[in-house]
Amino acid sequence: MATLSLNAITKSFGAAKVLHDISLAIEDKEFVVFVGPSGCGKSTLLRIIAGLEEATSGSIVIDGADVSAAPPVERGISMVFQSYALYPHLSVYENIAFPLRVQKMEKADMDARVQRAADILQLTEKLHLKPGQLSGGQRQRVAIGRSIVRNPKVFLFDEPLSNLDAALRGDMRVELSQLHQSLDATMVYVTHDQVEAMTMADRIVVLNGGRVEQFGSPMELYHHPRTKFVASFIGQPNMNLIPAKVLGVDGTGVQVEIEGGHRMVLPVEAATVNAGDRVEVGIRPEHVSIGNDGFEISVNVLERLGGVSITYGTIGEATRFCASLPGDAAISKDVPLKLNVAPHDCHVFDAAGDVLRRKSAPALVA
Amino acid sequence: MADIATDYAAQGTKAKTKSLPEAVFAWLLIGPAMLFIAVIVAWPLAETIRLSFMEARLGGEQYVGLANYQELAESKKFHQTVVRTFYWMFLSVGLKLILGLIGATLLNAAVPGRGLFRVLVMPPWIIPMAIGMIGWLWLYNGYFGVLSGTMMTLGITDGPFEFLAYKQSAFYSAVVADVWVGTPMVTLFFLAAMQGVSRDLYEAAWVDGAGRWYRFRRITIPQIMPVIVSMSLLSAIFTFNSFEIIWILTEGGPRGATTTLIVDTYKTAISNFKFGQGSARAVIIVILLGIFSLLYLNVLKFVNRKYGTK
Repeated sequence: MATLSLNAITKSFGAAKVLHDISLAIEDKEFVVFVGPSGCGKSTLLRIIAGLEEATSGSIVIDGADVSAAPPVERGISMVFQSYALYPHLSVYENIAFPLRVQKMEKADMDARVQRAADILQLTEKLHLKPGQLSGGQRQRVAIGRSIVRNPKVFLFDEPLSNLDAALRGDMRVELSQLHQSLDATMVYVTHDQVEAMTMADRIVVLNGGRVEQFGSPMELYHHPRTKFVASFIGQPNMNLIPAKVLGVDGTGVQVEIEGGHRMVLPVEAATVNAGDRVEVGIRPEHVSIGNDGFEISVNVLERLGGVSITYGTIGEATRFCASLPGDAAISKDVPLKLNVAPHDCHVFDAAGDVLRRKSAPALVA
Repeated sequence: MADIATDYAAQGTKAKTKSLPEAVFAWLLIGPAMLFIAVIVAWPLAETIRLSFMEARLGGEQYVGLANYQELAESKKFHQTVVRTFYWMFLSVGLKLILGLIGATLLNAAVPGRGLFRVLVMPPWIIPMAIGMIGWLWLYNGYFGVLSGTMMTLGITDGPFEFLAYKQSAFYSAVVADVWVGTPMVTLFFLAAMQGVSRDLYEAAWVDGAGRWYRFRRITIPQIMPVIVSMSLLSAIFTFNSFEIIWILTEGGPRGATTTLIVDTYKTAISNFKFGQGSARAVIIVILLGIFSLLYLNVLKFVNRKYGTK
């Protein structure tokens, strides 16, 4: 297995620049997820690593060797496509064996490798079938099997679960994590689903508009988002962003008045803001509780999920607010609700969308 | 509420009693089409079969039983015509398929001006056959034709060469003209099939180290195989029955070198007014094409089993 370095990668399609100076260092045996909204450049970046697209500038180094100009097969990578890219006219065995046939491998060796992959992926009974006879999850496994048999240095996954239904996606997430552990391989995984990113990644690259917004562990991104974009993208339900005015700044932090008139002193490093500045206060839905000394929201929609009650309302004039409260909390639609939030759980973003670093955030979880 | 329900029920019963039985309605729908087919296909076919048992000329007809068929079975000339027809068909269809595959592959490649090339493929197919063949007549002309002129310039021939005047050259010249007319359709069908092959399959194979030829052989060909087989059958039937091309270029000559079954049938029935013998030839064409089609359908079944998705 191998390390993977991207050095100042840029990519333009004609006049449109889709990737801006991307540099990343991915460790050996690491599971890194590229996450971001549609059009952020994550799939393009993966295709550049695979050699299916050429970078406009920059270099790719796999296991110490510059592979920027090498064709895909010489990069030591394998790729699982969003569509699975299975050959419909070939059996499961032939699909998995395809890269080995290209290499003209001996039949006995080929059999052994295909069998091993089939064992790992529980496909032994399906080897004689064609992809059209398999379920979505099984097809996905065949695509993964085709990757495994090549013993690549780096596995690349391009949104491999997006064609599956929600329940199967959950199962496959667990299977892929187990596969990563059993293969002990370097894996790069692209998704637009932040739940996949949070649950599977060792580290996450959040991309936005062709730029890396942040590269860090899931909990680092959750507790210490560097930008408003990362804060709102990571976490489910999304973080609430409430417009606020800075009333004063001192050594303890910044005093703000949020939409609706509630005042708070938030323990953040406030070097870049001054009294009178407009900021946004970020509050995660799961960090609020029902109380009497907090801010008030008017409840519009209530979703009782059993364990939790997802409560949607507005704060102030029309700022939307979402709270994740206990399942049996005494909440009623159209009745104002008082919510508390601990100041150290709040995030503050300046007008440019950059975070004011929190002074007392939870320690990072590796 | 109850009243409304009763009304609906009443309407339903009323509608039911008035409506035609489903089978009658179905026959009414397909009846006109079936009548039309009976008039333009079934009746002429039945009439052709009837005539094939007759000695039929302009003056009248007389029942002769299997005499017309017996005559054909014993005619060496007819046997040669059958062999020539199949040779004509296999050679022409084979060339159309090979050229169509090459053309479609080139037109499918990401090259600048691809759209223009796709349009330029069409004219042989679009131009009325008679006009196209008059063009070929001029091309093959010994004194004024480009081909003969070029051959003289290059020193290949000493003097003018009449392509359509000699048995061998006339046959192959007709094949070339037929391929010229038939290739665009094959090319465009292959191109459409190739464009339906997912790009991911090629990329996956490329990542796995498969070169161009390997990808073409292991992905493109199997993926478009059902279309190749279907086009082979269609093209074979068109070519077997190809009449205008041969008739305009050579009228089946010289000395019968380009006479295929369809030309022979026309000459016998229409030029020589031997309707009975001509009809026997037409019936044999139908039988031969029927057998050929059945064989092909079996091949198609096999191909679908081998290259299909299930």
